[in-house]
Amino acid sequence: MHLLEVNNPVAIQRGVLNAVSASNRPTSLDDKTVGLIWSGTHGGDIALKRAGEMLQERFENVNVNFYTGGNYPTPPAIVQQAGEECDVIIGATAD
Amino acid sequence: MVHDMIVIEKMGKPGVAIVSGRFESDAVASSRAFGMPDLQWIVVPHIYRNLDPETCRTQTEDAIDDLIGSLTTSIDARENAESTDTRRYEGEDRHDSILKMNQEFINEDLGDGLFLHPATKEAVDEMLTGTHLSPGHAVCDMPPGFGVATVEKIAINSVMAGAKPEHLPVVIAAVKALSKLGGQGGKSLLMSTSPQAPLLIVNGPLTKQLGLNPGSALGPGRDNQVNTLIGRAFALCFRNIGHWYLNKMDMDTIGTSRKFIQCIAENEDASPWAGFHVDQGFAADESTVSVFVTDGELDVQDQGNHTAEGLLKNLAYGSTFGTMNLQSARSGQERLILMPPDVARPVGSQGFSKQAAKEFIHKHANASVGKLMQYMPLEGEARVHNHWKWLENLTEDQLLEITVPIMNDAKDCYILVVGADRAKTGVFPSGPAPVTEGIDQYKA
Repeated sequence: MHLLEVNNPVAIQRGVLNAVSASNRPTSLDDKTVGLIWSGTHGGDIALKRAGEMLQERFENVNVNFYTGGNYPTPPAIVQQAGEECDVIIGATAD
Repeated sequence: MVHDMIVIEKMGKPGVAIVSGRFESDAVASSRAFGMPDLQWIVVPHIYRNLDPETCRTQTEDAIDDLIGSLTTSIDARENAESTDTRRYEGEDRHDSILKMNQEFINEDLGDGLFLHPATKEAVDEMLTGTHLSPGHAVCDMPPGFGVATVEKIAINSVMAGAKPEHLPVVIAAVKALSKLGGQGGKSLLMSTSPQAPLLIVNGPLTKQLGLNPGSALGPGRDNQVNTLIGRAFALCFRNIGHWYLNKMDMDTIGTSRKFIQCIAENEDASPWAGFHVDQGFAADESTVSVFVTDGELDVQDQGNHTAEGLLKNLAYGSTFGTMNLQSARSGQERLILMPPDVARPVGSQGFSKQAAKEFIHKHANASVGKLMQYMPLEGEARVHNHWKWLENLTEDQLLEITVPIMNDAKDCYILVVGADRAKTGVFPSGPAPVTEGIDQYKA
Protein backbone atom coordinates (compact mmCIF):
# COMPACT_ATOMS: atom_id res chain seq x y z
CA MET A 1 0.00 0.00 0.00
CA HIS A 2 1.08 3.55 -0.65
CA LEU A 3 0.02 6.63 1.32
CA LEU A 4 0.10 9.91 -0.59
CA GLU A 5 -0.14 13.15 1.33
CA VAL A 6 -0.65 16.37 -0.64
CA ASN A 7 -1.12 20.00 0.31
CA ASN A 8 -4.55 21.55 0.01
CA PRO A 9 -4.67 23.98 -2.94
CA VAL A 10 -7.79 25.84 -1.79
CA ALA A 11 -7.29 29.24 -0.18
CA ILE A 12 -9.54 30.55 2.55
CA GLN A 13 -11.58 33.56 1.47
CA ARG A 14 -11.05 36.92 3.11
CA GLY A 15 -14.81 37.23 3.45
CA VAL A 16 -14.94 34.05 5.52
CA LEU A 17 -12.08 35.19 7.73
CA ASN A 18 -13.85 38.50 8.37
CA ALA A 19 -17.45 37.27 8.23
CA VAL A 20 -20.23 39.23 9.92
CA SER A 21 -23.77 38.04 10.68
CA ALA A 22 -26.95 39.17 9.01
CA SER A 23 -29.13 41.62 10.93
CA ASN A 24 -32.11 40.79 13.14
CA ARG A 25 -35.51 40.41 11.47
CA PRO A 26 -38.79 42.09 12.42
CA THR A 27 -41.58 39.67 13.37
CA SER A 28 -44.02 41.39 10.99
CA LEU A 29 -43.92 43.83 8.08
CA ASP A 30 -46.94 45.79 9.41
CA ASP A 31 -46.22 49.55 9.41
CA LYS A 32 -42.86 48.99 7.68
CA THR A 33 -41.29 50.72 4.71
CA VAL A 34 -40.10 48.24 2.09
CA GLY A 35 -37.35 49.30 -0.30
CA LEU A 36 -37.09 47.77 -3.77
CA ILE A 37 -33.70 48.08 -5.50
CA TRP A 38 -33.68 47.43 -9.23
CA SER A 39 -30.47 46.96 -11.20
CA GLY A 40 -32.12 48.33 -14.33
CA THR A 41 -32.37 45.10 -16.31
CA HIS A 42 -35.50 43.93 -18.13
CA GLY A 43 -38.06 42.16 -15.95
CA GLY A 44 -36.49 42.88 -12.58
CA ASP A 45 -38.67 45.95 -12.11
CA ILE A 46 -41.83 43.96 -12.82
CA ALA A 47 -40.81 41.31 -10.29
CA LEU A 48 -40.00 43.82 -7.59
CA LYS A 49 -43.15 45.87 -8.09
CA ARG A 50 -45.30 42.74 -7.91
CA ALA A 51 -43.52 41.71 -4.70
CA GLY A 52 -44.20 45.16 -3.26
CA GLU A 53 -47.88 44.96 -4.18
CA MET A 54 -48.24 41.57 -2.53
CA LEU A 55 -46.57 42.72 0.68
CA GLN A 56 -49.04 45.60 0.80
CA GLU A 57 -51.87 43.10 0.39
CA ARG A 58 -50.54 40.78 3.12
CA PHE A 59 -49.60 43.38 5.76
CA GLU A 60 -51.10 46.55 7.21
CA ASN A 61 -49.85 50.02 6.34
CA VAL A 62 -46.83 49.01 4.25
CA ASN A 63 -45.05 51.76 2.31
CA VAL A 64 -43.05 50.81 -0.79
CA ASN A 65 -40.10 52.84 -2.12
CA PHE A 66 -38.60 52.01 -5.51
CA TYR A 67 -34.91 52.71 -6.24
CA THR A 68 -32.72 52.25 -9.26
CA GLY A 69 -29.18 53.28 -9.99
CA GLY A 70 -29.42 51.73 -13.42
CA ASN A 71 -26.51 49.38 -12.87
CA TYR A 72 -25.01 46.65 -10.74
CA PRO A 73 -23.55 46.92 -8.25
CA THR A 74 -26.01 49.70 -7.44
CA PRO A 75 -24.29 53.08 -7.00
CA PRO A 76 -23.32 53.29 -3.30
CA ALA A 77 -25.31 56.50 -2.75
CA ILE A 78 -28.52 54.74 -3.84
CA VAL A 79 -27.88 51.78 -1.54
CA GLN A 80 -27.14 54.16 1.32
CA GLN A 81 -30.35 56.11 0.67
CA ALA A 82 -32.44 52.94 0.56
CA GLY A 83 -30.89 51.67 3.77
CA GLU A 84 -31.61 54.94 5.55
CA GLU A 85 -35.19 55.36 4.31
CA CYS A 86 -36.48 51.77 4.58
CA ASP A 87 -36.95 49.07 7.23
CA VAL A 88 -36.32 46.13 4.89
CA ILE A 89 -34.91 45.91 1.35
CA ILE A 90 -35.52 43.55 -1.57
CA GLY A 91 -33.13 43.51 -4.51
CA ALA A 92 -33.17 41.93 -7.96
CA THR A 93 -30.64 41.81 -10.78
CA ALA A 94 -33.04 39.94 -13.08
CA ASP A 95 -30.50 37.10 -13.05
CA MET B 1 -27.01 42.32 -5.93
CA VAL B 2 -25.58 40.06 -3.21
CA HIS B 3 -22.95 42.72 -2.64
CA ASP B 4 -25.61 45.45 -2.36
CA MET B 5 -27.71 43.41 0.08
CA ILE B 6 -24.66 42.85 2.28
CA VAL B 7 -24.15 46.61 2.41
CA ILE B 8 -27.79 46.97 3.51
CA GLU B 9 -27.40 44.26 6.16
CA LYS B 10 -24.32 46.00 7.52
CA MET B 11 -26.53 49.08 8.02
CA GLY B 12 -28.65 46.94 10.35
CA LYS B 13 -31.53 46.47 7.90
CA PRO B 14 -32.72 43.10 6.54
CA GLY B 15 -31.89 42.73 2.86
CA VAL B 16 -33.07 39.89 0.63
CA ALA B 17 -32.07 39.25 -2.99
CA ILE B 18 -34.31 37.59 -5.56
CA VAL B 19 -32.11 35.05 -7.34
CA SER B 20 -32.90 33.05 -10.48
CA GLY B 21 -32.26 29.35 -11.11
CA ARG B 22 -28.61 28.42 -11.40
CA PHE B 23 -27.56 31.67 -9.79
CA GLU B 24 -28.26 30.27 -6.31
CA SER B 25 -24.81 28.68 -6.16
CA ASP B 26 -23.42 32.05 -7.25
CA ALA B 27 -25.27 33.65 -4.32
CA VAL B 28 -23.75 31.11 -1.93
CA ALA B 29 -20.24 31.77 -3.24
CA SER B 30 -20.69 35.54 -3.40
CA SER B 31 -22.05 35.79 0.14
CA ARG B 32 -18.91 34.06 1.37
CA ALA B 33 -16.63 36.15 -0.83
CA PHE B 34 -18.15 39.40 0.38
CA GLY B 35 -18.17 38.50 4.06
CA MET B 36 -21.72 37.49 5.01
CA PRO B 37 -22.31 33.75 4.59
CA ASP B 38 -25.69 34.09 6.36
CA LEU B 39 -27.14 36.51 3.81
CA GLN B 40 -30.70 35.62 2.80
CA TRP B 41 -32.13 35.22 -0.70
CA ILE B 42 -35.04 33.53 -2.39
CA VAL B 43 -34.91 31.54 -5.60
CA VAL B 44 -37.24 31.78 -8.62
CA PRO B 45 -37.01 29.31 -11.51
CA HIS B 46 -36.11 31.49 -14.49
CA ILE B 47 -33.88 34.47 -15.28
CA TYR B 48 -36.21 37.47 -15.56
CA ARG B 49 -34.60 39.53 -18.27
CA ASN B 50 -35.90 37.60 -21.29
CA LEU B 51 -39.28 36.56 -19.82
CA ASP B 52 -42.61 38.07 -20.84
CA PRO B 53 -44.10 40.44 -18.20
CA GLU B 54 -46.84 38.05 -17.09
CA THR B 55 -44.34 35.28 -16.33
CA CYS B 56 -42.22 37.79 -14.43
CA ARG B 57 -45.21 38.47 -12.20
CA THR B 58 -46.38 34.88 -11.71
CA GLN B 59 -43.02 33.43 -10.77
CA THR B 60 -42.65 36.23 -8.22
CA GLU B 61 -46.10 35.47 -6.81
CA ASP B 62 -45.11 31.83 -6.37
CA ALA B 63 -42.13 32.88 -4.26
CA ILE B 64 -43.86 35.44 -2.03
CA ASP B 65 -44.11 33.15 1.04
CA ASP B 66 -40.37 32.48 0.88
CA LEU B 67 -39.74 36.21 0.55
CA ILE B 68 -41.83 37.06 3.59
CA GLY B 69 -40.17 34.28 5.56
CA SER B 70 -36.68 35.50 4.75
CA LEU B 71 -37.60 39.04 5.84
CA THR B 72 -39.32 38.11 9.11
CA THR B 73 -37.71 34.89 10.40
CA SER B 74 -34.56 34.73 12.50
CA ILE B 75 -31.58 33.27 10.66
CA ASP B 76 -29.74 30.05 11.33
CA ALA B 77 -26.08 30.31 10.51
CA ARG B 78 -25.07 28.45 7.36
CA GLU B 79 -22.48 25.76 7.80
CA ASN B 80 -19.08 26.56 6.37
CA ALA B 81 -16.89 23.62 5.51
CA GLU B 82 -13.57 23.66 7.34
CA SER B 83 -10.55 23.31 5.10
CA THR B 84 -7.54 21.27 6.13
CA ASP B 85 -3.89 21.82 5.28
CA THR B 86 -3.31 18.36 3.82
CA ARG B 87 -5.22 15.53 2.17
CA ARG B 88 -4.34 11.84 2.22
CA TYR B 89 -4.92 9.13 -0.39
CA GLU B 90 -4.19 5.45 0.09
CA GLY B 91 -3.65 3.28 -2.98
CA GLU B 92 -2.12 -0.04 -3.93
CA ASP B 93 0.95 1.82 -5.14
CA ARG B 94 2.00 5.44 -5.81
CA HIS B 95 0.31 5.51 -9.21
CA ASP B 96 -2.96 4.26 -7.71
CA SER B 97 -2.89 6.82 -4.91
CA ILE B 98 -2.28 9.62 -7.41
CA LEU B 99 -5.26 8.43 -9.45
CA LYS B 100 -7.40 8.50 -6.31
CA MET B 101 -6.21 12.03 -5.57
CA ASN B 102 -7.07 13.10 -9.10
CA GLN B 103 -10.53 11.59 -8.90
CA GLU B 104 -11.33 13.38 -5.65
CA PHE B 105 -9.96 16.70 -6.89
CA ILE B 106 -12.06 16.45 -10.03
CA ASN B 107 -15.13 15.46 -8.01
CA GLU B 108 -14.66 18.62 -5.91
CA ASP B 109 -13.97 20.70 -9.06
CA LEU B 110 -10.47 21.66 -7.91
CA GLY B 111 -8.89 20.95 -11.29
CA ASP B 112 -9.27 21.82 -14.96
CA GLY B 113 -10.21 18.32 -16.08
CA LEU B 114 -6.65 17.32 -16.99
CA PHE B 115 -4.25 15.21 -14.95
CA LEU B 116 -3.02 16.98 -11.80
CA HIS B 117 0.45 16.51 -10.38
CA PRO B 118 0.50 15.69 -6.65
CA ALA B 119 1.51 18.69 -4.54
CA THR B 120 3.53 16.77 -1.97
CA LYS B 121 5.48 18.66 0.67
CA GLU B 122 8.71 17.90 -1.18
CA ALA B 123 7.36 19.15 -4.50
CA VAL B 124 6.00 22.33 -2.94
CA ASP B 125 9.27 22.99 -1.11
CA GLU B 126 11.13 22.67 -4.41
CA MET B 127 8.69 25.01 -6.12
CA LEU B 128 9.23 27.57 -3.36
CA THR B 129 12.94 27.77 -4.26
CA GLY B 130 11.78 29.82 -7.25
CA THR B 131 11.10 32.89 -5.08
CA HIS B 132 12.71 34.73 -2.18
CA LEU B 133 9.30 35.29 -0.58
CA SER B 134 8.28 33.28 2.48
CA PRO B 135 5.52 30.68 2.05
CA GLY B 136 3.15 32.56 4.35
CA HIS B 137 3.55 35.89 2.56
CA ALA B 138 0.14 37.10 1.36
CA VAL B 139 0.54 38.44 -2.18
CA CYS B 140 -3.04 39.71 -2.42
CA ASP B 141 -6.69 38.69 -2.06
CA MET B 142 -7.39 37.11 -5.44
CA PRO B 143 -10.66 37.97 -7.15
CA PRO B 144 -13.40 37.19 -7.79
CA GLY B 145 -13.76 35.16 -4.56
CA PHE B 146 -11.00 37.00 -2.71
CA GLY B 147 -9.12 33.97 -1.47
CA VAL B 148 -5.95 34.83 0.42
CA ALA B 149 -3.18 34.28 -2.13
CA THR B 150 -0.22 33.20 -0.03
CA VAL B 151 2.98 32.25 -1.79
CA GLU B 152 2.47 28.70 -0.53
CA LYS B 153 -0.99 28.39 -2.11
CA ILE B 154 0.35 29.77 -5.40
CA ALA B 155 3.20 27.24 -5.23
CA ILE B 156 0.82 24.34 -4.51
CA ASN B 157 -1.32 25.14 -7.53
CA SER B 158 1.79 25.62 -9.67
CA VAL B 159 3.01 22.15 -8.71
CA MET B 160 -0.38 20.70 -9.62
CA ALA B 161 -0.07 22.33 -13.05
CA GLY B 162 3.33 20.77 -13.68
CA ALA B 163 5.15 24.09 -13.62
CA LYS B 164 8.79 24.51 -12.54
CA PRO B 165 10.32 26.71 -9.83
CA GLU B 166 11.60 29.23 -12.38
CA HIS B 167 8.01 29.75 -13.52
CA LEU B 168 6.79 30.66 -10.03
CA PRO B 169 7.73 34.39 -10.12
CA VAL B 170 5.66 34.82 -13.30
CA VAL B 171 2.67 33.16 -11.67
CA ILE B 172 3.00 35.27 -8.52
CA ALA B 173 3.24 38.46 -10.58
CA ALA B 174 0.21 37.48 -12.67
CA VAL B 175 -1.85 36.75 -9.54
CA LYS B 176 -0.86 40.15 -8.17
CA ALA B 177 -1.71 41.85 -11.47
CA LEU B 178 -5.15 40.29 -11.55
CA SER B 179 -5.91 41.73 -8.11
CA LYS B 180 -5.23 45.22 -9.49
CA LEU B 181 -7.46 44.83 -12.53
CA GLY B 182 -10.46 47.18 -12.74
CA GLY B 183 -12.60 47.88 -9.70
CA GLN B 184 -11.91 45.27 -7.02
CA GLY B 185 -10.15 43.05 -9.50
CA GLY B 186 -12.83 43.52 -12.11
CA LYS B 187 -14.82 41.03 -10.07
CA SER B 188 -18.17 41.67 -11.76
CA LEU B 189 -16.64 41.01 -15.16
CA LEU B 190 -14.94 37.81 -14.06
CA MET B 191 -18.28 36.54 -12.72
CA SER B 192 -20.10 37.46 -15.92
CA THR B 193 -22.40 35.28 -17.99
CA SER B 194 -20.14 36.20 -20.96
CA PRO B 195 -16.89 34.32 -21.64
CA GLN B 196 -14.33 36.75 -20.28
CA ALA B 197 -10.98 35.07 -19.64
CA PRO B 198 -7.51 36.31 -18.74
CA LEU B 199 -4.59 36.13 -21.15
CA LEU B 200 -1.05 36.57 -19.83
CA ILE B 201 1.66 38.22 -21.93
CA VAL B 202 5.28 38.37 -20.79
CA ASN B 203 7.86 40.93 -21.91
CA GLY B 204 11.55 41.34 -21.23
CA PRO B 205 14.65 39.13 -20.94
CA LEU B 206 12.83 36.42 -18.99
CA THR B 207 10.86 35.37 -22.07
CA LYS B 208 13.97 33.81 -23.63
CA GLN B 209 15.36 32.51 -20.34
CA LEU B 210 12.15 30.57 -19.71
CA GLY B 211 11.60 29.51 -23.31
CA LEU B 212 8.24 31.22 -23.77
CA ASN B 213 7.10 31.07 -27.38
CA PRO B 214 6.39 34.44 -29.06
CA GLY B 215 5.59 32.89 -32.45
CA SER B 216 2.52 30.73 -32.98
CA ALA B 217 2.06 31.13 -29.27
CA LEU B 218 -1.55 30.21 -28.52
CA GLY B 219 -2.16 26.49 -28.63
CA PRO B 220 -0.88 23.09 -27.55
CA GLY B 221 2.33 21.23 -28.29
CA ARG B 222 6.08 21.16 -27.74
CA ASP B 223 6.77 24.74 -28.74
CA ASN B 224 4.16 26.05 -26.35
CA GLN B 225 4.94 23.87 -23.35
CA VAL B 226 6.15 26.73 -21.15
CA ASN B 227 3.30 28.98 -22.33
CA THR B 228 0.88 26.23 -21.36
CA LEU B 229 2.41 25.32 -17.99
CA ILE B 230 2.59 28.88 -16.67
CA GLY B 231 -0.88 29.63 -17.96
CA ARG B 232 -2.22 26.47 -16.38
CA ALA B 233 -0.57 27.28 -13.05
CA PHE B 234 -2.25 30.68 -13.10
CA ALA B 235 -5.58 29.12 -14.08
CA LEU B 236 -5.43 26.67 -11.15
CA CYS B 237 -4.64 29.59 -8.81
CA PHE B 238 -7.64 31.37 -10.30
CA ARG B 239 -9.84 28.41 -9.42
CA ASN B 240 -8.55 27.41 -6.02
CA ILE B 241 -7.41 30.78 -4.68
CA GLY B 242 -9.72 33.12 -6.59
CA HIS B 243 -12.59 30.62 -6.26
CA TRP B 244 -13.38 31.04 -9.97
CA TYR B 245 -15.44 27.88 -10.08
CA LEU B 246 -18.00 27.36 -12.82
CA ASN B 247 -21.58 28.00 -11.70
CA LYS B 248 -20.34 29.51 -8.44
CA MET B 249 -18.26 32.56 -9.25
CA ASP B 250 -17.90 31.96 -12.99
CA MET B 251 -21.42 32.21 -14.40
CA ASP B 252 -20.49 31.80 -18.07
CA THR B 253 -23.33 30.83 -20.41
CA ILE B 254 -21.47 28.77 -23.04
CA GLY B 255 -17.87 29.06 -21.96
CA THR B 256 -14.66 29.31 -23.94
CA SER B 257 -11.45 27.39 -24.49
CA ARG B 258 -9.66 30.64 -23.58
CA LYS B 259 -10.31 29.62 -19.97
CA PHE B 260 -7.52 27.08 -20.48
CA ILE B 261 -5.44 30.16 -19.85
CA GLN B 262 -2.17 30.61 -21.70
CA CYS B 263 0.87 32.74 -21.03
CA ILE B 264 2.58 33.97 -24.18
CA ALA B 265 5.51 36.28 -24.93
CA GLU B 266 5.66 39.37 -27.09
CA ASN B 267 7.93 38.87 -30.11
CA GLU B 268 10.15 41.84 -29.30
CA ASP B 269 12.90 40.76 -31.73
CA ALA B 270 10.47 40.93 -34.64
CA SER B 271 8.85 44.21 -33.60
CA PRO B 272 9.72 47.59 -35.10
CA TRP B 273 8.64 49.20 -31.83
CA ALA B 274 9.45 49.07 -28.12
CA GLY B 275 7.80 46.28 -26.15
CA PHE B 276 4.42 46.63 -24.53
CA HIS B 277 6.00 46.78 -21.06
CA VAL B 278 7.81 49.97 -22.13
CA ASP B 279 4.41 51.44 -23.11
CA GLN B 280 3.31 50.58 -19.57
CA GLY B 281 6.21 52.49 -17.99
CA PHE B 282 8.77 49.73 -17.42
CA ALA B 283 12.38 49.66 -18.64
CA ALA B 284 13.14 47.52 -21.68
CA ASP B 285 15.44 45.25 -19.65
CA GLU B 286 12.83 44.56 -16.98
CA SER B 287 10.66 41.45 -17.22
CA THR B 288 6.93 41.85 -16.78
CA VAL B 289 3.67 40.03 -17.15
CA SER B 290 0.54 41.81 -18.37
CA VAL B 291 -2.93 40.48 -17.64
CA PHE B 292 -5.53 41.15 -20.31
CA VAL B 293 -9.16 40.06 -20.04
CA THR B 294 -10.48 38.97 -23.42
CA ASP B 295 -14.06 38.31 -24.50
CA GLY B 296 -13.53 36.53 -27.81
CA GLU B 297 -11.07 36.42 -30.67
CA LEU B 298 -11.10 36.98 -34.41
CA ASP B 299 -8.55 36.21 -37.13
CA VAL B 300 -8.24 39.28 -39.39
CA GLN B 301 -6.62 37.90 -42.50
CA ASP B 302 -4.87 39.97 -45.12
CA GLN B 303 -4.52 38.65 -48.67
CA GLY B 304 -2.23 41.07 -50.41
CA ASN B 305 -1.99 44.52 -48.84
CA HIS B 306 1.60 45.67 -48.57
CA THR B 307 1.23 49.35 -47.77
CA ALA B 308 0.95 50.37 -44.14
CA GLU B 309 -2.34 52.14 -44.76
CA GLY B 310 -3.81 49.14 -46.56
CA LEU B 311 -2.77 46.75 -43.81
CA LEU B 312 -4.07 49.02 -41.05
CA LYS B 313 -7.38 49.79 -42.77
CA ASN B 314 -8.03 46.08 -43.14
CA LEU B 315 -7.19 45.63 -39.48
CA ALA B 316 -9.46 48.53 -38.47
CA TYR B 317 -12.40 47.16 -40.48
CA GLY B 318 -11.79 43.74 -38.98
CA SER B 319 -12.07 45.26 -35.51
CA THR B 320 -15.62 46.53 -36.03
CA PHE B 321 -17.79 44.01 -34.24
CA GLY B 322 -19.50 43.69 -30.90
CA THR B 323 -21.78 46.04 -28.98
CA MET B 324 -21.64 49.61 -27.71
CA ASN B 325 -21.93 50.37 -24.02
CA LEU B 326 -25.11 52.37 -23.44
CA GLN B 327 -24.60 52.39 -19.68
CA SER B 328 -21.96 55.07 -19.70
CA ALA B 329 -21.17 58.20 -21.68
CA ARG B 330 -18.13 56.32 -23.01
CA SER B 331 -19.63 53.85 -25.44
CA GLY B 332 -16.48 52.29 -26.77
CA GLN B 333 -14.85 48.95 -26.50
CA GLU B 334 -11.21 47.97 -26.17
CA ARG B 335 -9.20 45.86 -28.60
CA LEU B 336 -6.17 43.72 -27.90
CA ILE B 337 -4.33 43.34 -31.20
CA LEU B 338 -1.77 40.56 -31.56
CA MET B 339 -0.03 41.82 -34.67
CA PRO B 340 2.21 39.37 -36.54
CA PRO B 341 5.63 40.49 -37.80
CA ASP B 342 4.40 40.47 -41.42
CA VAL B 343 2.02 43.30 -40.53
CA ALA B 344 4.11 45.09 -37.91
CA ARG B 345 7.32 45.29 -40.00
CA PRO B 346 5.87 47.08 -43.05
CA VAL B 347 3.73 49.33 -40.86
CA GLY B 348 6.76 50.29 -38.79
CA SER B 349 9.16 50.62 -41.73
CA GLN B 350 6.74 52.92 -43.58
CA GLY B 351 6.93 55.48 -40.82
CA PHE B 352 4.17 54.55 -38.43
CA SER B 353 5.07 54.70 -34.76
CA LYS B 354 3.00 52.36 -32.58
CA GLN B 355 0.98 55.35 -31.38
CA ALA B 356 0.37 56.48 -34.96
CA ALA B 357 -0.81 52.99 -35.89
CA LYS B 358 -3.22 52.97 -32.95
CA GLU B 359 -4.60 56.37 -33.95
CA PHE B 360 -5.06 55.23 -37.54
CA ILE B 361 -6.95 52.13 -36.43
CA HIS B 362 -9.11 54.18 -34.08
CA LYS B 363 -9.96 56.64 -36.84
CA HIS B 364 -11.06 53.92 -39.29
CA ALA B 365 -12.81 51.47 -36.95
CA ASN B 366 -16.41 52.72 -37.05
CA ALA B 367 -19.73 50.90 -37.07
CA SER B 368 -23.48 51.49 -37.19
CA VAL B 369 -25.12 52.55 -33.93
CA GLY B 370 -28.24 50.62 -34.88
CA LYS B 371 -26.27 47.39 -35.13
CA LEU B 372 -24.13 48.00 -32.06
CA MET B 373 -27.13 48.69 -29.80
CA GLN B 374 -29.43 45.95 -31.09
CA TYR B 375 -28.45 43.76 -28.11
CA MET B 376 -30.34 45.92 -25.59
CA PRO B 377 -33.84 47.18 -26.43
CA LEU B 378 -34.23 50.61 -24.86
CA GLU B 379 -37.85 50.20 -23.83
CA GLY B 380 -38.14 49.01 -20.21
CA GLU B 381 -34.42 49.45 -19.64
CA ALA B 382 -33.09 51.76 -16.93
CA ARG B 383 -29.41 51.27 -17.63
CA VAL B 384 -29.25 53.75 -20.53
CA HIS B 385 -26.98 56.66 -19.65
CA ASN B 386 -28.39 60.16 -20.13
CA HIS B 387 -25.76 60.71 -22.81
CA TRP B 388 -27.61 58.21 -25.05
CA LYS B 389 -31.24 59.04 -24.27
CA TRP B 390 -31.58 60.85 -27.60
CA LEU B 391 -31.31 57.50 -29.38
CA GLU B 392 -34.76 56.58 -28.06
CA ASN B 393 -36.40 59.06 -30.44
CA LEU B 394 -34.85 57.74 -33.67
CA THR B 395 -36.20 55.23 -36.16
CA GLU B 396 -34.33 52.00 -36.87
CA ASP B 397 -33.26 53.33 -40.29
CA GLN B 398 -31.86 56.48 -38.68
CA LEU B 399 -29.99 54.44 -36.09
CA LEU B 400 -28.48 52.22 -38.79
CA GLU B 401 -27.17 55.24 -40.70
CA ILE B 402 -25.31 56.79 -37.75
CA THR B 403 -21.81 55.49 -37.20
CA VAL B 404 -19.64 55.77 -34.10
CA PRO B 405 -16.04 54.76 -33.33
CA ILE B 406 -15.69 51.25 -31.94
CA MET B 407 -13.15 52.60 -29.45
CA ASN B 408 -13.44 55.90 -27.62
CA ASP B 409 -9.77 56.63 -27.90
CA ALA B 410 -6.61 55.30 -29.54
CA LYS B 411 -5.36 54.35 -26.08
CA ASP B 412 -8.11 51.69 -25.93
CA CYS B 413 -6.24 49.81 -28.67
CA TYR B 414 -3.34 47.66 -27.43
CA ILE B 415 -0.82 46.48 -30.02
CA LEU B 416 1.60 43.66 -29.23
CA VAL B 417 3.74 41.93 -31.84
CA VAL B 418 3.16 38.18 -31.64
CA GLY B 419 3.11 35.42 -34.21
CA ALA B 420 4.78 33.54 -37.01
CA ASP B 421 5.31 34.74 -40.59
CA ARG B 422 2.02 35.61 -42.30
CA ALA B 423 -0.27 38.66 -42.21
CA LYS B 424 -2.95 37.17 -39.98
CA THR B 425 -3.74 39.42 -37.02
CA GLY B 426 -5.49 38.28 -33.85
CA VAL B 427 -8.06 40.80 -32.63
CA PHE B 428 -9.57 40.30 -29.19
CA PRO B 429 -12.35 42.35 -27.61
CA SER B 430 -10.87 43.15 -24.23
CA GLY B 431 -11.23 45.17 -21.07
CA PRO B 432 -10.87 46.53 -18.48
CA ALA B 433 -7.47 48.07 -19.18
CA PRO B 434 -4.65 45.55 -18.74
CA VAL B 435 -2.40 45.56 -15.69
CA THR B 436 1.36 45.01 -15.98
CA GLU B 437 3.37 43.73 -13.03
CA GLY B 438 7.13 43.43 -12.73
CA ILE B 439 8.38 39.86 -12.30
CA ASP B 440 11.96 40.40 -11.15
CA GLN B 441 10.86 41.45 -7.63
CA TYR B 442 9.48 37.96 -7.04
CA LYS B 443 12.51 35.94 -8.18
CA ALA B 444 14.75 33.92 -5.84
